[in-house]
Amino acid sequence: MELKKTGEDIIKSALRYGADEAEAVIENAKEFSVNVRKGEVETLQKSVSKGLGLRVYLNKALGFSYTSDLSPESLDETVKRTVDLAKITESKPWQGLPDFGPQPLTDLDLYDAEIAAVPDEKKIAMAREVERIAMAQDKRITNSEGGSFNNSEREAGLFNSRGISYVLKETSCGFNTYVIAGEGDNMQGGGWSSNKRFFKELAPVEDVARRAAQRAVEMLGAKPVETKKVPVIFDRYATSGFWMGILFALDGDEVFRKTTFMTEMLDKPIASPLITVYDDPTRPRFVGSVPFDGEGNVTRRVTLIDKGVLKTFYYDSQTARKAGVKVHTMARSYGYKGGASAGFLCVTVENGKDDPAALFKDVKEGLLVTGMRGSGTDSTTGSFSVGCSGFWIVDGAKAFPVDGVTLGGTTLEILNGIDKVANDLDMRGSLNSPSFRVAEITVGGKKA
Amino acid sequence: MDIFETHRLIGRRGFLKKGMQTGALVVSYPIWKHFGDQEAVRERKMLSTMDPVESAGLDKDILRKLLEACLSRGGDFAEAYYERTVLNRLSLDEEKITTAMRGLEMGVGFRVIQGEKTGYAFSDDLDFARLKEAAEPAALIASGTVKQKPAAFTPLSPPSYYLVKVSPDTIASKEKAALLIKANAVARAHDKRITQVGVHFSDYNKKILIANSEGLYVEDSQTLSRFGVNCAALEGMQRSMGYESKAGSYGFEHYNLALAEDYARQAAEMAIRLLPAEDAPAGEFPIVIAPGHGGIFFHEAIGHSLEGDGIRKKTSAFWDKLGQPIASPVVTLADDGTYKGSWGAVNVDDEGCVGKNTILIDKGICAAFIQDKLNAGLMKMKQTGNGRRQSYQFYPIPRMTNTYLHAGESKPEDIVKSVDKGLFIGKIGGGNVSPTTGRFVFSVTEGYMIEGGKVTKPLKGIMLMGSGQEVLKNISMAGDDLLIIGGGGCGKDGQSKPVGFGNPTLKVDKITIGGKKA
Repeated sequence: MELKKTGEDIIKSALRYGADEAEAVIENAKEFSVNVRKGEVETLQKSVSKGLGLRVYLNKALGFSYTSDLSPESLDETVKRTVDLAKITESKPWQGLPDFGPQPLTDLDLYDAEIAAVPDEKKIAMAREVERIAMAQDKRITNSEGGSFNNSEREAGLFNSRGISYVLKETSCGFNTYVIAGEGDNMQGGGWSSNKRFFKELAPVEDVARRAAQRAVEMLGAKPVETKKVPVIFDRYATSGFWMGILFALDGDEVFRKTTFMTEMLDKPIASPLITVYDDPTRPRFVGSVPFDGEGNVTRRVTLIDKGVLKTFYYDSQTARKAGVKVHTMARSYGYKGGASAGFLCVTVENGKDDPAALFKDVKEGLLVTGMRGSGTDSTTGSFSVGCSGFWIVDGAKAFPVDGVTLGGTTLEILNGIDKVANDLDMRGSLNSPSFRVAEITVGGKKA
Repeated sequence: MDIFETHRLIGRRGFLKKGMQTGALVVSYPIWKHFGDQEAVRERKMLSTMDPVESAGLDKDILRKLLEACLSRGGDFAEAYYERTVLNRLSLDEEKITTAMRGLEMGVGFRVIQGEKTGYAFSDDLDFARLKEAAEPAALIASGTVKQKPAAFTPLSPPSYYLVKVSPDTIASKEKAALLIKANAVARAHDKRITQVGVHFSDYNKKILIANSEGLYVEDSQTLSRFGVNCAALEGMQRSMGYESKAGSYGFEHYNLALAEDYARQAAEMAIRLLPAEDAPAGEFPIVIAPGHGGIFFHEAIGHSLEGDGIRKKTSAFWDKLGQPIASPVVTLADDGTYKGSWGAVNVDDEGCVGKNTILIDKGICAAFIQDKLNAGLMKMKQTGNGRRQSYQFYPIPRMTNTYLHAGESKPEDIVKSVDKGLFIGKIGGGNVSPTTGRFVFSVTEGYMIEGGKVTKPLKGIMLMGSGQEVLKNISMAGDDLLIIGGGGCGKDGQSKPVGFGNPTLKVDKITIGGKKA
């Protein structure tokens, strides 16, 4: 199937069936994955899949369909049905395609032409190796969920009746392992992974294995602590959930509806002046990069929080039109079945000035968070509450592992309470942050 | 393993994110066989493209040939899973019907097992040559020559646990829209402080066919429907959310305007009740959990740890606990795929095992595990009808259906009275658990203080935290008011699946609350 031709034909067909505007998303994906457990292949999966998502507007009313059946008869039926769906819904003046048309795209170098030549045996060997090395790291490692390798090659097309006709070819690959230390009531799991666009850029197997093992073993004997207010250090690898909760609260449409606690905060300080956050999906070869967003807007770097001051909310073209704001719109794509709506693309919290060790200095008693269960932020009320694990800090050093404690407060208090930011940023995915310290948070545990 | 979390990632607008958990519905019914009237006949004609197995050309001969291809490298077992799913969704937002959606997914998945190894492949192209090609990589999990031929098919006719007279897929959108419009009007009229109302109706219509090399041949037609109302309230700087939904393997005859009105009022009332909510305390407290919604807690905190894969691999803390006391004698926990009309009901699971009602914990004693074919076989245990998969793109794994705690004998009001200072947990929004340590967290979307045996002020920012093992031992009272509900999806190994859950009013003697006040 020629993606470009299919996509452009569908748009023409939608207009022929009476749509005023139309947008099609077509995906073609080839995937491979293998899980090895205790040295043996446990599952091996290979697949090819495809699908179409179609949005049409009729008098600014929306119809949406998706189908995995891309035969000509099915496509014709889908287009016809989708136009019919737009007759059921009611119009809203802000609905419709974005105002922008086609723009020049930058090649972000997201396609690894060599990965197709990597033999399955090599991938299986990596999955086996990462598990084997992780299990051999420490006598206390008793069990394993296995090692795995996966890679995919994806072709994604975005087409609309304003002339947008983009096709993105991208690859991704990764491997990981998850091992278990201890026995009986004292078991702890730990995992690590490496995910890249290019096979050659994957981390050494030994590094991933060692980290996974360390993360399991160091948590053995973790216990809750008593409820108290202490300084809390967030490890860089435990923060993506934290930031995700904050980004959800920056949804421009929620602001318009006044359903987020961030509603009144534009151009006001929401965080410590040490905090600068931007969304930038344009780094070449990077796993979190994408040349155009879910609506076909060419991506660029946007500052979200500048030295603690909130600079923008997230809008897609429709919510921006509705709220009457002129901003660079960012729509996150949820695949052909999910459509696209305002959301973060690739967010980075800027490095601070402090050496990671400086965060521990002068902490008499405190908590280092290395695992968070959830994001903590309630985007409606702004209250913050999350379960976490990590280490108790005594006199500036890790004393013992902690699990089963909660952090409580409000998101704004926590953001404003950040008093140190480390310079240890490690770009791994679509949400990246250095470690940081908050002067004081209520850690909930056993009876005080 | 985070129930509802997947929905958040599906990432509709924030307002819709909460409570309105969309997506991940699935399952239920021989639609075309159960209509009598003219209307239905017309609808059935319209649906003729819905009768896919025959039109897809997947007759028994072709299936046998495909299974032969699967076994060509000497696999022990082969299975073909055909699926055709139609999803309809209608939603109202900001006073208008804004979304009408229809989705179609179809394809065939091939699974080959040899020993502990599974090979899996799928195709969404139903041409025989393409299907045969797709079966090849699955066959390659074995590496020898043909050991056996597929057995002759014996068709299986499972009992029905779905309550579907009128398929929602045959209902005109206008009729569904009337429910949404009614609910919106009622919720908005309920109180001036209600500022946003969202309403949706979704139905999932799935037809499956499973054929395997042991001679199993079974078809099932599964329908799930869901009607939900979300409200946001605002007063000064105070914000709150309320929601209510009805969800199950229900036909459209289970929905009407009076029900829409009732659910809208409940959702609005919840938001209004929570407007003056204060910060929750932190520390250890006794809690009382309201019937129904607390079931998510047992799903996450205990259910996942009893799934056969973790048990067999000894990665679950319960792997060696069969026959041993793991909970207070008040606790009898069931996983029940046979609960009629429920969100997690299965006539057959996704590998053709008929739905079952399994007692997992019997008066505190660990009595059974949640099993699929692979793990039950390797452990020499019985299948429990819990081999489930999100779609043809996934191989089945042990998953819960409806997990609920049996009723006890206490009166709900006596349970609340027994608490001097603690929390009353109304609704739980979501949570997750580490199956290795059994540690969980849940965020509570509706909670109150209990003071002197009475439910008093509303609270916000409540987080429940602990380990499944501890909580099981700390349940001291169970009410006589069991309620089983549905509507959510559970995520595991990247697969989302609809699950139901339930509980009677319960007392947990102590649990860690993460809140703001130290």
